[in-house]
Amino acid sequence: MLVKYLPLIWSGVWRKPVRTALIFLQVFVGFALFGILQGMKSGMDKAIAGVRADVLYVGPAVMGGARLPIAGLSRLQSVPGVKTVSFNDSMLGTYRNSTESIFVLCIPPGEFFRTLEPETVSVQSKDLEALRKIRTGVLITPDIGRKYGWHIGDKIPLITGTVQASGSTTWTFDIVGMILDHERGEDSLVVANYYYLDEARALNKGTVGHFYAIAADPKQAAAVSDTIDRTFANSANATLTTSFRERTQLAMQSLGDLNFAIRWILSAVLVALMFSTATMMMQTVRERAPELAVLKTLGFGSRAVFTFVAAEALLVCIAAALTGLALAWIALFPLAAKYMPGLSMPMVVVAFGILGAVLVALFSVSVPGLRAARLNIVDALAGR
Amino acid sequence: MQFLKQLGMLLRMNLLSVPQRLGLTCTTVIGVTCAVGVLVSMLAMGVGAQREAMGNVRPDRVSVLSVDASGPGQSNIPPDIAALIGDLPGIRRNASGQPIAVPQAIVFIQGRRNDSGSLVGFPMTGAGTGLTDYAPELHLTAGRMFRPGLLELIVSNLCARQFQHFEVGDTRLIQGVEWRVVGNFDLRRGSGSCAAYTDANTVLSAFRRGGYNEVNVVLRSSAAFDEFVNTIRANPLLQVKVEREAELAEAGVEQVHGILNFVSYFVGVVLAAAATIGSANSLYALVDSRRSELATLRAIGFSDAPVIAATLLEAIVLAIPGALIGAGLAWLFFNGLTASSLGFSFHLAVTPSLATLGMGWALGMGVLGGLLPAIRAARVPVTVALRAK
Repeated sequence: MLVKYLPLIWSGVWRKPVRTALIFLQVFVGFALFGILQGMKSGMDKAIAGVRADVLYVGPAVMGGARLPIAGLSRLQSVPGVKTVSFNDSMLGTYRNSTESIFVLCIPPGEFFRTLEPETVSVQSKDLEALRKIRTGVLITPDIGRKYGWHIGDKIPLITGTVQASGSTTWTFDIVGMILDHERGEDSLVVANYYYLDEARALNKGTVGHFYAIAADPKQAAAVSDTIDRTFANSANATLTTSFRERTQLAMQSLGDLNFAIRWILSAVLVALMFSTATMMMQTVRERAPELAVLKTLGFGSRAVFTFVAAEALLVCIAAALTGLALAWIALFPLAAKYMPGLSMPMVVVAFGILGAVLVALFSVSVPGLRAARLNIVDALAGR
Repeated sequence: MQFLKQLGMLLRMNLLSVPQRLGLTCTTVIGVTCAVGVLVSMLAMGVGAQREAMGNVRPDRVSVLSVDASGPGQSNIPPDIAALIGDLPGIRRNASGQPIAVPQAIVFIQGRRNDSGSLVGFPMTGAGTGLTDYAPELHLTAGRMFRPGLLELIVSNLCARQFQHFEVGDTRLIQGVEWRVVGNFDLRRGSGSCAAYTDANTVLSAFRRGGYNEVNVVLRSSAAFDEFVNTIRANPLLQVKVEREAELAEAGVEQVHGILNFVSYFVGVVLAAAATIGSANSLYALVDSRRSELATLRAIGFSDAPVIAATLLEAIVLAIPGALIGAGLAWLFFNGLTASSLGFSFHLAVTPSLATLGMGWALGMGVLGGLLPAIRAARVPVTVALRAK
């Protein structure tokens, strides 16, 4: 029956175009904010869930202290529950006169690296093969290549804080291949051969930055972590083992109270919206009392009049909310991605947005709607 | 004169009718309350973080780092270089005549949090002699100072509360050896992050380190900075740079502060926009409901200017209580509340300047929201409006 009266509802919506437009705008702005704040939150949750729990990161228990000797690798491999192990090291460098630092991740160029994080980092076997063949090779991301104008075959001197046996701190690499980082589009990362680093450096020979261990069973990852740390405990090279997921979780947890703030803000927005739309609906019903009375005179029941008023509010609120969410998704996410990577808007957020809009509409229409339904025809037509 | 008289009468009329149109006026007040309340409490997080980081900063304290380091973490100062720094001119001397130049070696150790049970890293600083001369704000509340050469550490009270087994008398196994917690301390202000101190040379030997991270120096006065820097520049042996304490502290919170401020102003602007729209809408309705009164006044000779001014002023007058309530609520609920974000822990600080800022925003919302309705009020066509009722 509502479809039949759509023109009636539609003309009710546009009876005061400025007022409707302003209500629309206000709800729209409120839900654009809702969209971006919820997008932030769900982006964080998704980021945590998407990170692998079975990849363990084994670092020194005291950072800034002694480094881990590579000899620990075989001991790590023998820990029950550990499937495969590997390690990395790193240097920080700069290119030419740039002040931005470049992270030189040094890995043993084996297939292991391909099993690390296939979702985010992808590297072809042939590129790893090239890195294996040419000890001074590096793999670069497309982004860093664009940034410094590098191409495969170029020789790049990087000034680092790591001293070579010759006393020089400039390391020259040959670009031999590409590596992709889908997630961040790294423009500050290159991947080099660990054995080149270890052979050429003056200090810390035979040590690594971190070990990697992949747990055979992801569900047992926590237990395996504990076993690893127990194995190395009370030695001069005590370790601290965390899974990739735990690390992400910790990083996100430190954002912690922003979540709390988001809840407060959204409550404030909802309260303000409800109050504002409610008073406007009140005003609308008051002004239109004679018209509503005419409807009742024509034979529409109290329930029908209430439905008309409610339908108007719902129409405006839901349309505005959807437009607001769309704006957040299309225009605001790219803007805010600079500060808050991984924004996303799953259907759950859209559903909650619509639910919120329905809530605002129904709350705002409750008192004025009842007033319209209970309208006394004679008084209303007399303008009392 | 005529203007003021008419304005006064109009304002009186408008404000006296507030009780009759309570709902519409409340829309403005509540909208502004929410916008200002949220903006002020969000900004209070940034101010709190800043205060926490800068609380103990003094202009006469500087840190000496290696020349290529972007912060203490990447810096390495060998012991022989550190020894030279104490002899430079411009350094204040303590009561016994020794220069206050304290080498520090920083390592990160773990503690198990009381609330979540998870392991979290925090810095343990190995400090050379003169730590209390350099940082008089450090005062022990329990136990005693660590002794050089022994595996002893002192831990801030905040740390002792947050983490398990960091009270005086506790022993901790770090890197396979047993350390004793011999003291707990407070840092007058800015004790928001966890801190632990021990002897510098103990750190170097226990963790097989070749050098310090930094040498912290108290200058004779902040004006001695240039003299100190120039002497270092003139000496090719010293491949080091000097940073003021304030700059390092600022760099430490820069990112947090940037994110917090971005979020605050972004949310603040959006909420203010929503409140302004709501206020404009309700003022339109108010003007509409006064059409016959306004038409009557126009008919007896009131001019446009006072009508516009009166509506604008009404919008502003309605925005002010909103701002006061919003800032008041922010203060009531959030001032002094401990928040932590991005690894920093701090108290939210709702300051008078933030309240003033909130007031400014409210006035802006009032003016913007009132502008169009005010013009409409002045345009009420006399005959039509009078005929309508």
